[in-house]
Amino acid sequence: MYAEVLTRVLTQVAVVVGILLLTSIALFVGRGRLVTTAREWRSRLQATAPAVAVLAAVLGLNRVVRWRGDEIEGAIGFHMTETFYDLEGEFVLLFQSIATEELTAYFSFIYVYGYAFLLIFPGIAYFALSDTRTFRRLLTAYSLNYVLGLAFYLLVIAYGPRNVMPEELTVTMLYDNSPEYQHLTREVNRNTNVFPSLHTSLAATVGVFAYITRSSYPYWFPVAAVLAASVAVSTMYLGIHWAIDVVAGLVLAGVCVRLSGVLVGRQPVARFRRYLDRRPTPRDDRE
Amino acid sequence: MTDEKTASPGRPRSRRAVLAGTAGLTVATSGCVRQVRTVVNRDAVDQLSVTIVTLPADGDREGIRLAREVAAVLEAVGVDVSVDMRSNEEFLRAILINHEFDLYVGRHPGGTDPDLLYEALHSVYAEESGWQNPFGYANLQLDDLLEAQRRADGEEREAVVAELLEELAREQPFVPICVPEEHRFVRTDRFDGWGEAHPATRLGYLELEAGDDVDRLRTAHTDARISENLNPLTAEYRDHEPFLELVYDSLATERDGEIEPWLAEDWTYDDGTLWVRLREDCRFHDDEPLDADDVEFSYRLLQDTELEGGESPSPPPRYRGLAAAVEGIDVDGELDLEFELDAGEAVAERVLTVPILPEHVWADRAAPATVRGVSVAQGATEAVTVDNVPPVGSGPFRFGSRTEREHVTLERFDDHFTRREGVDLPEASVEELRIQIDPRSTSAIELVNTDGADITSAILETYVLDDLEPAPETAPLESPSWTFYHLGFNTRRAPFANARFRRAVAGLLDKDWLVEDVFHGYAAPTATPVTEEWTPEELAWNGEDPATPFFGSDGELDVNAAREAFEDAGFSYDDGALRVRR
Repeated sequence: MYAEVLTRVLTQVAVVVGILLLTSIALFVGRGRLVTTAREWRSRLQATAPAVAVLAAVLGLNRVVRWRGDEIEGAIGFHMTETFYDLEGEFVLLFQSIATEELTAYFSFIYVYGYAFLLIFPGIAYFALSDTRTFRRLLTAYSLNYVLGLAFYLLVIAYGPRNVMPEELTVTMLYDNSPEYQHLTREVNRNTNVFPSLHTSLAATVGVFAYITRSSYPYWFPVAAVLAASVAVSTMYLGIHWAIDVVAGLVLAGVCVRLSGVLVGRQPVARFRRYLDRRPTPRDDRE
Repeated sequence: MTDEKTASPGRPRSRRAVLAGTAGLTVATSGCVRQVRTVVNRDAVDQLSVTIVTLPADGDREGIRLAREVAAVLEAVGVDVSVDMRSNEEFLRAILINHEFDLYVGRHPGGTDPDLLYEALHSVYAEESGWQNPFGYANLQLDDLLEAQRRADGEEREAVVAELLEELAREQPFVPICVPEEHRFVRTDRFDGWGEAHPATRLGYLELEAGDDVDRLRTAHTDARISENLNPLTAEYRDHEPFLELVYDSLATERDGEIEPWLAEDWTYDDGTLWVRLREDCRFHDDEPLDADDVEFSYRLLQDTELEGGESPSPPPRYRGLAAAVEGIDVDGELDLEFELDAGEAVAERVLTVPILPEHVWADRAAPATVRGVSVAQGATEAVTVDNVPPVGSGPFRFGSRTEREHVTLERFDDHFTRREGVDLPEASVEELRIQIDPRSTSAIELVNTDGADITSAILETYVLDDLEPAPETAPLESPSWTFYHLGFNTRRAPFANARFRRAVAGLLDKDWLVEDVFHGYAAPTATPVTEEWTPEELAWNGEDPATPFFGSDGELDVNAAREAFEDAGFSYDDGALRVRR
């Protein structure tokens, strides 16, 4: 049954990602940082609360709009599938020529498990840093990815390669090889939301942050880089995204990382408080 | 991309204006104005640019592949083509309701009786929305034949139908491509009787015998629309499925092409008059009685969903052709009705297969639908647009619950007449019917394999069929097929109004090859839109298309021959591009 399959898949993902996370915390974060974090978590939580709240709100909005977006899409969206197909043709079929069973298994794993791990681990790793700015920047960049991505989803109605060239992609298509995953992705997405690839943009965002923080986490950077690249390739290999979606995802990641640097100050909470203090009340306005 | 403005973005719309402007300045003084005018006042003849509307692979895997192949051959003969993919509902809305298409590729619900063509092609329906004439096709000679086959019976009807199909094959208002085989996958350890009746009809489910301790029938359905809308009149959400037939009774029911009594106990036909007697003491699921007034009301609603309350009739997008055969109904007491019909016996009996709706629920829906701030098109009454949840019918199953995109659960209606002593009709053998939405054929099959479902209730996509592995408890189930894939023309738009053009397009399709390539051989190429038994010998498939032979062989288009065909049809080429006046 549907719910049972979903629960089974979710449990599976939770267990695998959980193991990956625990291993990575032991390997990359280290005992010292964990001890400090245990001591300072209250103040860090306080400092980062606004960023967390924004991300939570964005994810909530994202969920509603993605499913109820078809009415808005119908009114303002442009059908772009043919444009993408005309532009890049059968480029993604390139990956079919190197397809093997092992690669398909690898990329399916990366698309589901690797991606979830890649997004969650930096949250833990950066929360474990004394300076909360990286953590706040990361969450802000995630929020921006979702907000901007969502705007594009409403504007661009496009189906991915698997919907246009089903036969050519049969060998590697994620949902034919592992039908159980469709329950998972169906929960979070619609089949016309392909431009840009949020898988790519979020993975690339993590990759860039890993580069920025390579002095704190020198060994995480190469791991993140390989994972992020694999996620981007997996979306094309599995027939879910066009190369154009992936390129757009990379651009989106760049924009979001840059914006997060502008938006997130060194002392945002203090600045936020100052802003609140300075803000004239409506009554003041009238006087 | 299908409206006129955007159909050909490259069209130099203002060229004439520009030319006239500059030419006017330079030449006006030289006295050659008249000649300039005769040159520039001719409309430019541009390359033909068309959009093919179809479903993405998630909605119809074979459809998108067919559309791509059609696009490829059209491009080969110099047409600029783009393929526009729409979701299930949007596709049908574009084709049936708004007529926003140049060409489309899709599956037609078809039927076991050639009368389906009356609805599909009669010219009086060219302006209506729905399955009635979405092509906008108008041909008086064909109208005459469509009407004649309705009134005829027996051999006379066969002869008229043959003539009608000949005319159709000549005119090609749409190109029938192939009849896909219907395969499903079932569990045999819990139910017996699969295939006793067609699984896309109510009897297919009622003929099942449940095993001991089995009180629930579970289907895995790959189309989510049934969970979103349960209105029998809404065309965009209805497909080849039996579930609303289980909720709504009709007077008669179809078995293997024959019409049998259902809600009507009996009927007699004589020269255009049909006397129908209903079964006694039937009730709707809300315990209101079902009587002859509800029947009369249902047919009136199917003719005009505003019940004559509007300026002109607003017919629904489904059942239009059958309801139109009814010229009048006299109610004679609670159980007896007298139908005046413009139809012979064969079609008169088919008229009895439409759903019977409760007047006390639907009478209020006979008003134009209102959406705040939106002007609603004529014909969009609430009866057609409401999602109809929960549906109140009188059928063997009543609505239980649903979650959008997850499931619809029906419960047995214990008061149904099939459960009475002395009524020898198949009845529901389980207390519950659960329609589980599972959007892919592969995972629906997996559900059956793992005892999560008893049948994949929608037709399986052909690409999974080679891998079906029957086990002791499961089996593939093949059923007769009457749906057909076709290429539809919007004959309201040039050049598709031209039969010569349509015939030339039909000749671009190698149906034999398409069946092998796209359907893995699980389909039969066809030149007619009716079942085999109605197909006259001259139009039967004989290794090639008897009506519009392919310009080429084995999927290889002979481009020169094809272009010649377009030139013979009066169209011209310029620099390899097919030029058409629009």
